Amino acid sequence: MSSAMRMVSTRNLAAHRVRLLLTVVSVMLGTAFVAGSFVFTDTLKGSFDKIFTTVDAGVDARVQQKHSYDPSVPRNLVAQIRAVPGVHAVEVHAGAPVVLVNSNGKKVQPGGAPSEGGMWNAAADSVGPVPSFTSGRAPSAPGQVVINSGAAKKGHLSAGDRARIVLPNAGVVDVTVVGVYQSEVETGGYIGVLFSQQQALELFTDGKHVGSLDIAADPGVSEKALAANIAKTLPSTLEVRTGTEARADDQGGVQTALSFINYILLGFGFIALIVGTFIIYNTFSMIVAQRLRELALLRAIGAGRKQVRRSVLVEAAIIGVIGSALGLAGGVGLAYGLHALLDALDLGLPSGGLVLGPRTAIVTLLLGTAVTLLSANAPARRAAKVPPVAAMREEFASTSAGSLRRRTLIGAFVATLGALATIGGVTSSSASVGASLTGLGLVGVAAGAMMLSPVLAGWIITPLGKVIGRPFGSVGQLARTNAVRNPRRTASTAFALTLGLLLVSGIAVVGSSMKASISGIVDNSVRADYILGNQSDVGIPPAAALAASKVPGVGSMTELHNVSTLIDGKHRVGTAVDGPLGAIVKVDMKHGGGTPTGADMLISSATAEDNHWTVGSRHTFSVPGRTSTVATVAGIYADNQLLGPWLVSGDVYRTVTPVNQRADIVVLIRGAPGADLSALRAGLEQATNDFYVVSVQNREEFKGQVASQIDGLLTLLYGLLGLAIVIAILGIINTLALSVVERRREIGMLRAVGMQRKQVRRTIYVESLLIAVFGAFLGLVLGLAYGSMFTRTLRDQGLDTLSVPWGQALTFLLVAGIVGVLAALWPGARAARTPPLEAISAS
Amino acid sequence: MTQVSTLSPAITSLVAASATDVVKLYGSGDTAVRALDHVSLDLLRGEFTAIMGPSGSGKSTLMHCLAGLDTVTSGSVSIGDVELSGLSDKKMTALRRDRIGFVFQSFNLVPTLTALENITLPIAIAGRKPAQQWLDTVITTLGLADRLHHRPSELSGGQQQRVAVGRALASQPEIIFGDEPTGNLDSRSSGEVMGILRRSVDDLGQTVVMVTHDARAASFADRVLFLADGRIVNELREPTAETVLDRMKNLEG
Repeated sequence: MSSAMRMVSTRNLAAHRVRLLLTVVSVMLGTAFVAGSFVFTDTLKGSFDKIFTTVDAGVDARVQQKHSYDPSVPRNLVAQIRAVPGVHAVEVHAGAPVVLVNSNGKKVQPGGAPSEGGMWNAAADSVGPVPSFTSGRAPSAPGQVVINSGAAKKGHLSAGDRARIVLPNAGVVDVTVVGVYQSEVETGGYIGVLFSQQQALELFTDGKHVGSLDIAADPGVSEKALAANIAKTLPSTLEVRTGTEARADDQGGVQTALSFINYILLGFGFIALIVGTFIIYNTFSMIVAQRLRELALLRAIGAGRKQVRRSVLVEAAIIGVIGSALGLAGGVGLAYGLHALLDALDLGLPSGGLVLGPRTAIVTLLLGTAVTLLSANAPARRAAKVPPVAAMREEFASTSAGSLRRRTLIGAFVATLGALATIGGVTSSSASVGASLTGLGLVGVAAGAMMLSPVLAGWIITPLGKVIGRPFGSVGQLARTNAVRNPRRTASTAFALTLGLLLVSGIAVVGSSMKASISGIVDNSVRADYILGNQSDVGIPPAAALAASKVPGVGSMTELHNVSTLIDGKHRVGTAVDGPLGAIVKVDMKHGGGTPTGADMLISSATAEDNHWTVGSRHTFSVPGRTSTVATVAGIYADNQLLGPWLVSGDVYRTVTPVNQRADIVVLIRGAPGADLSALRAGLEQATNDFYVVSVQNREEFKGQVASQIDGLLTLLYGLLGLAIVIAILGIINTLALSVVERRREIGMLRAVGMQRKQVRRTIYVESLLIAVFGAFLGLVLGLAYGSMFTRTLRDQGLDTLSVPWGQALTFLLVAGIVGVLAALWPGARAARTPPLEAISAS
Repeated sequence: MTQVSTLSPAITSLVAASATDVVKLYGSGDTAVRALDHVSLDLLRGEFTAIMGPSGSGKSTLMHCLAGLDTVTSGSVSIGDVELSGLSDKKMTALRRDRIGFVFQSFNLVPTLTALENITLPIAIAGRKPAQQWLDTVITTLGLADRLHHRPSELSGGQQQRVAVGRALASQPEIIFGDEPTGNLDSRSSGEVMGILRRSVDDLGQTVVMVTHDARAASFADRVLFLADGRIVNELREPTAETVLDRMKNLEG
């Protein structure tokens, strides 16, 4: 490409700074989210890696259970391993989630970070360096603990203070904090409570097993040789990992969780990019339209089509590179902001510097530039088709971009295919096939809608404009006709909002249906007056349930437990029940019945069908190294969200679950006939108060709690999708600002023949409002429809009640309208400043 | 000679617009350009005035200042009994809307509105209903009754300019300003448009002022003012194309 054409491109960019800025901003926003998600997850990964490097320092081998259901390391094995050649030291781990209660009786909240109890290991029993104390000393007797400095600060605890520790199985333990230790790296909010060896073994083990063993090698012994030596002494339920493997395991676990976050964030990043694509495309289309005369002049003086096309693409490339470089910087800022926000929300993220990897930079720059070039390609081709004679014409229609027929036909075809896939999905009996087909259908319908939207814009905006524009008289009429003047442009401006609203309203329908479904379960199948729940990971200590059962006025009490075991050699998770079932939970029995007692087992219809189990079939519950038992199927119940796939008695639960792992997940209480329910509540609260972690809720409160959890999740999603809306707003600003430039002469004429500035502004506002409401409306229709259909495909997964949040949908539409007006503020002000003489001076 | 036909105060009611000692400077200091140099004139009601002059003579600037589209550096301009200097943008805009009509060289119609909607646009902007009888008169004068529901893109240049004249006439303004109204038209369409403007003066009592460099168009006027270097240098009454051309030759020669 000749240097002259390159000069035209660069001079053009320099001459139109506002236009440049707006386009760069739209590239930037799209790429910023992509970069931000990489930076955020890389940073977290880096911090976690650092934590594990510190935590696992000195570990040359680790002995642990093979499967989560296997019994952990037998205590007598410790001495045996110490005797293995090459073993220098063995560090014993035993721990569980705990709740720390400070001397004022206040729980110390870990936020999202772990709150763990464990064992203090002196230097002789440690493989790595022993944490240093900021004050106090190590625990040497039962009743003494040390806590980490973060917990001490948060709980206003110092050496010598009394505290209480709540454990899932053992209830509440009174302790004295004898020391505060410093851990080098930790996640914000982390709480570590370390007991003396003796008490840790009492509290966290069944007396016969400990958690896991970390082993240090003698000097000169390799990790591999050490592991091989140890392996010879191990039973089949245990395995040995080298230190390197153990660290990789720890990091890998976090990595899986992080890549999930990364995918979600990237998903939003791509939505932002797609939305950005429309804006970039629009901007370049308009730039080309406005430069027609200049491009024609270049052609007239001998520039080839290819040169003209390239000059536009060079502009795009420059904008793409600048935009994505800024996006990269913005991404770092976004990651920083997200980190700060989550820190402020106390979600327990590790601290650590931001990590900007080369991958992040390369992906962001390539993606941003490629998207910009792709978006500018069609406008560039159009630019190349400008006939040289256009330079001589007085006026030309800058809007002519060919007929919409082809686009409409293809759009209708794609939308029809999408609709067919959707019908297939909704009528499918399998949830996974149904959901994927519906998802495929959504993609087709959304793509079709995008292609149809220029036509839809005319159909929807014209009647809408007649209603909304009526109070504004001729201003309203001008705004309405302007909004449909260039249907392609209106469509691609509005579609950014359509996409955002589609996702937001779709999620709103599913969220609202989730709440309605859970509410339905609680209303229809739970007959309890009060529900005891746990506010932490620790579950409800059985002692708390026992205390609650003795409160006067308790008619019946039912405890539910989680069971994780091997049934006939296969790992399965189900539920166990103590106490009457039918009185408190509505169970629809298909065969047999009653509350499971002794060796009884009840199974759901789905379990019966999938495994060909029948009433009377016998199943072995056995985990190697533990007591085994046989349960007989006594009945089959209709699938029930609360009870899960199978149900056994508390006896079976206690046989297969070691004492240190036993806890209740939920306790359901029904008042005795004639009992005063508020007195019962007061009694329950008093009885469970000493356990700190138990909440007493009636059904309404329980539903409210679940609903607020769902709302929290929805808020997070809305926040992320808010970005798509922000980009959509920028798109509207961009389009309007460029339209105003394009219509300068016309606006000047309107000012000359007597349109007030206020009226000019209002015309732009109403135009923007119409575009925004059109986009939002289309998105809402699709989002509500597809949210409902997804809910329907998931009806067997617990989403059995469809609830469409109409009020919320209306709010979204209103917000879109407001957003439209806000987006028009600046372009409107610019338009109003157009001097009337513009109408006269030559273009 | 810069004073032309200044009337005694007693008969100012006959004056549709006037300029008194108007100076217009562009730029400042050494690079300042004096576009208008102490110009005074009165435009009488019911009269058709053409302003002519070579390029850069200040004829367009004079019209912009008279029409309230541009401000003067010194001197005063009035439309009817309203003195323009010191008017707020809002009042000035309302004045343009209610008391002035414009016909531009390049038609300047709103492409999304029909011919009729364009004609009634200033009235609609003012939030008023057009006076039907007057509107009918205007439409008859324009000879566009069968094109009223067409968009500008479906009309020829001459038809578009007739719509523009209709827009100027529709609100019964005190005065209509034309900026090279025939500049973009062929001679046949020029004749039609000038004929309409002439009839609006003769039959409807309109006051029309236009800037033009077309001697034939100027010959439709009652009076031609000649500008050179920012001053009014000559005046011609009852012009013909030939007399106008003669004067122009003298100016440029």
